[in-house]
Amino acid sequence: MKDNLEGRKLVNQMDVKIETRDVQVFYGDTHAIKDVSVDILDKTVTAFIGPSGCGKSTFLRCINRMNDTIPIARVEGTLMLDGEDIYHSGIDPVQLRAKVGMVFQKPNPFPKSIYDNVAYGPRIHGLAPTKADLDVIVEKSLRRAALWDEAKDRLQEPGTGLSGGQQQRLCIARAVATEPEVLLMDEPCSALDPIATAQVEELIDELRENFSVVIVTHSMQQAARVSQKTAFFHLGNLVEYGDTDTIFTNPVDPRTESYITGRIG
Amino acid sequence: MTDQHHIASAFDRDLESVQAQLMKMGGLVEESIRNSAKALKTRDIELAEQVRKGDREIDSLEEQISMDCASLIARRQPAASDLRTVLTVMRISSNLERIGDYAKNIAKRTEVLAQLPPIEGSAGAVKRMAKEVQNMLSDSLDAYIKRDAALADEVRHRDLEVDQMYNALFREFLTFMMEDPRNISSCMHLHFIAKNIERAGDHVTSVADQVVYLATGVMPEDPRPKGNGAPYDLGTFQESDE
Repeated sequence: MKDNLEGRKLVNQMDVKIETRDVQVFYGDTHAIKDVSVDILDKTVTAFIGPSGCGKSTFLRCINRMNDTIPIARVEGTLMLDGEDIYHSGIDPVQLRAKVGMVFQKPNPFPKSIYDNVAYGPRIHGLAPTKADLDVIVEKSLRRAALWDEAKDRLQEPGTGLSGGQQQRLCIARAVATEPEVLLMDEPCSALDPIATAQVEELIDELRENFSVVIVTHSMQQAARVSQKTAFFHLGNLVEYGDTDTIFTNPVDPRTESYITGRIG
Repeated sequence: MTDQHHIASAFDRDLESVQAQLMKMGGLVEESIRNSAKALKTRDIELAEQVRKGDREIDSLEEQISMDCASLIARRQPAASDLRTVLTVMRISSNLERIGDYAKNIAKRTEVLAQLPPIEGSAGAVKRMAKEVQNMLSDSLDAYIKRDAALADEVRHRDLEVDQMYNALFREFLTFMMEDPRNISSCMHLHFIAKNIERAGDHVTSVADQVVYLATGVMPEDPRPKGNGAPYDLGTFQESDE
């Protein structure tokens, strides 16, 4: 079928970035994620939606092993990034997180200058041998996060002095500075006003050129706007995963229908 | 379609209200078709005038529905079956508005025809054709309420019969006009009336298409059943005929 909508740009269904099979997550006795198998595509925005407690954030955190930091959390099943097992004993979670960047709900810049916020990752991962190299990375990252024009004259000022929307874009710049392949976003706009939200959404669409982006959002409209693929979670199950267009016009599962139309599910 | 209610009950009320208006509009349009055909058959100028005046209410309902749908989209951002409902209501209301216009047109010509000598039998045939379109409309509105794709699909296929009735009338009018040129004026009006009913049938088919989309999420794939284009063939036949 001919596709006339620019914002929907066709995605390559074959280009799998993250492959998960029968993933289970337990918090102590609580079975938080049940048998989740999904292929997340490269150069695509995938939205995870679902009611609070459905497991979408938990599942997102499996992808960069953030659940490792919770003592009672246990992950089973297979998660592969480019065919490599993320949970293999030979994988260093810190190196993994350089490849799989993350942006959180509340902007959380380090109490450092704007420059140092962005330079932090490249420094600890040894990506910039000289100061000039680091300058290049900082500028490129701030440009990618659409913050360069606003921040270029105040790089040494504290990151915490920026507005909320700017802080979130700073966090995105920080996340992309290590040249990740995947960007995980956990409700990146829930603390932002509509203008800052629109700027971050515009940014997400640009980031898709280079990254595989996975976004958890409570705003169904946001999922509909920014993503090409949508996954609906409910009570720890992946209920439905498909093209965003299909999910929002003609979902297959009645639970998806109830949730996205705002009915009691 | 789910039987569950929206968490925001005002959303339910808004959707119900706009659909109630659509059904009211459907009822008025059915009545217009019925009355215009009846007025034609019985040469009832008063009834024809009533149909003409009644079209205003149909038009204003369409405007109201259109504004209410715009408001629903702006305020509620409907998705999935809600989105399909709003889209379907908008398209069906515009189909109904057109059908209403055709009925009005029939009524106008009826007022002219009532001043001319009657053409034997043809008003009855036109009325049967109108009756079929009216039944199809009634069934597609039923299918809408029940979200019944099978019934809607059945209606889509009945349009072929209307097309065939139209083709038969086309031939009949040609014959009358050839028999006696004094019939030409009446037959031209009657032909436009038959054509209007045939077009109304197309709009009813489009309503049925929308019901299939509403119920299943996909537009019917097979092209709308079409006749063999007999009137066009007849045109060529005429030229070669002495």
